[in-house]
Amino acid sequence: MKGFISVSELNEYISGLLAADEFLSDFWMKGEISGFRFYRQSGHMYFTLKDQETAVSCVMFKSRNQGLKFEPEDGLEVLVRVYVSVYPKQGKYQVYVQEMQPYGKGGLFLQLEQLKSKLEAEGYFAPENKKTIPEMVNYVGIVTSQDGAALKDILRVIKQRHPSCQVILVHSSVQGDTAPAELAEGLKLINAHGQAEVIIIGRGGGSFEDLMAFNTETLVKAICESRIPVISAVGHEIDFSLADMAADLRAATPTQAASMAVPDISRLKKEIEKYQYRINRVMERRIGHYSETLDRLMLKRIWKEPHIIINEKERKVAEQQEKMNRCIAGFVQGSQHRCSLAIEALDQLSPLKVLQRGYVVVYKDGKLLRQTKKVEIGEHLKIIFNDGNLGVRVMDKEMFLNEKNQI
Amino acid sequence: MKKIKFEEALKGLEAIVDKLETGELDLEESIKLYEEGIDLSVYCQKQLTQAEGKIQRLIKKLDGDIQVVDME
Repeated sequence: MKGFISVSELNEYISGLLAADEFLSDFWMKGEISGFRFYRQSGHMYFTLKDQETAVSCVMFKSRNQGLKFEPEDGLEVLVRVYVSVYPKQGKYQVYVQEMQPYGKGGLFLQLEQLKSKLEAEGYFAPENKKTIPEMVNYVGIVTSQDGAALKDILRVIKQRHPSCQVILVHSSVQGDTAPAELAEGLKLINAHGQAEVIIIGRGGGSFEDLMAFNTETLVKAICESRIPVISAVGHEIDFSLADMAADLRAATPTQAASMAVPDISRLKKEIEKYQYRINRVMERRIGHYSETLDRLMLKRIWKEPHIIINEKERKVAEQQEKMNRCIAGFVQGSQHRCSLAIEALDQLSPLKVLQRGYVVVYKDGKLLRQTKKVEIGEHLKIIFNDGNLGVRVMDKEMFLNEKNQI
Repeated sequence: MKKIKFEEALKGLEAIVDKLETGELDLEESIKLYEEGIDLSVYCQKQLTQAEGKIQRLIKKLDGDIQVVDME
C-alpha cells in the first residue's frame, strides 16, 4: 500500500460504486433544462437539469436523442429516464439521459407546437392548397365514430337542411393509439369510393388528450392527400387542432360542419322561386311595353280607315283640276272680251252705220257706183238706204269740174 | 339541357335576371334569355328535389375490397 491512490483510481472507484447501485442505473427524474447545447458534429446534447435549489449536468448522446419528438430548450420541464455515472476527465458525476419527454400538459403543447411548425414548413397548411367546398353537395362522406354524439348531430343537421342528401360513413375510433391511422384510412376509403363531394371528419369535444388523434402527422397528411374537400369538426378546448389547420374548412363543432357541408335546400328553393318571379315579372313588363307600343300604333286612324289615304289623293287631284278649270275659264273669258271689243270696233266701221247717218249707196248693174261719169241719163240704178232700197232712173247729170274731188 | 353544376346554373340564372332587369336588350335577345332563364330555374328546382337520401356505411373487407352497407 502506497498510502495514496491516483485521481483516476478514485474516479474509477466511485464509478464502480455508482454502477453497482441498482437505483442509480435506471430511474426517472424531473427537472428544468438550462444551458442547453447541441453539438452538431457529434450529435450529442449537453445541458443542466435544475430545480429551485440545485442542478446536475446531463448528457444525451446522439444514439439516444435521435428519436426525440420535440426539441429540448432552456426553461422546459422534462421527465428524463437516466443513469448516473462519473465523467472522469472532470471528476464529476453526470446524468446520462436515455429517454426524454416534455413534462405534463405543457409538454404535449410543446410537442404539438413543434409538429405544427414542422408541418407548416412542409406546406401542409398552405392556404393555396385548400380546396373549395362545393355549394351544392348531394353526397357527404363522414369519418367519425358510429357511436358518438357527433354523428347524430351531423346526420340531424344534414337531414334538416338537405333531406335528399346521401351520406356515406366510415366508422373509426376517434381517440386512442389506433385512432390516427383509422381516421386516415377512413379518408382514403371515402376517396376510393369516390361518390362523396365533401368529407366531414371529426368528433365531439373532449379533453386535450382525447383529441390528440387529430393532432397527428398521420391524419394531417391524410387530410391533405384527400382529393375530396375535407371539413374538420373537432369540438375542442384549445384554439386549434392540426387536423383543423390541414382541413379545407374548419368547423367548431360537428353541427356546424354539417351546415357548412350541405346547402339549406328550402332556402335555395325560395331563392330560385324569387328568381322565377323576377324573370317572369321582367318579361311581362317587357312584353307589356311592346304590346302597348303596338296598340298605340294600331290605334292610328290609318288602320281603321285606310281609304283616307285615297281620299287625300283624290282631294289633291280635284284641287288641281279645279285650279286648271279656273285657269281655262279665265282664259276663255278674256278671249270673249277681246272678241266682243273687236266685233264692236268692226261694227263701228260697218257701212250700215254710214247709211244710218243718212248716206246711201248706189249700185249699177249690181256694182257699187263711185263716179257719175259712168252713168248716162235714163239709166237704171239701185239706191240702198238704211231702211230699204229704191230703184231709180237718172233724170239729170251734172259733173264736178275738179276731177280730183271725185271719191 | 346539358349537365351543368347547380352553382353554375344558379349563377347563370342570377346573371340572366340581372341582365333582363337592367340591360337594354332587343325583343329577340330578351326572349332567348328568358327561355334560358326558365330552363335554368327548372333545372335548379329539379336538382333540389331529388330522390330521398340514404345513409350508408363504407367498410373494407378482409380482401381489401370496399363494401357499402345500408344503415338503420
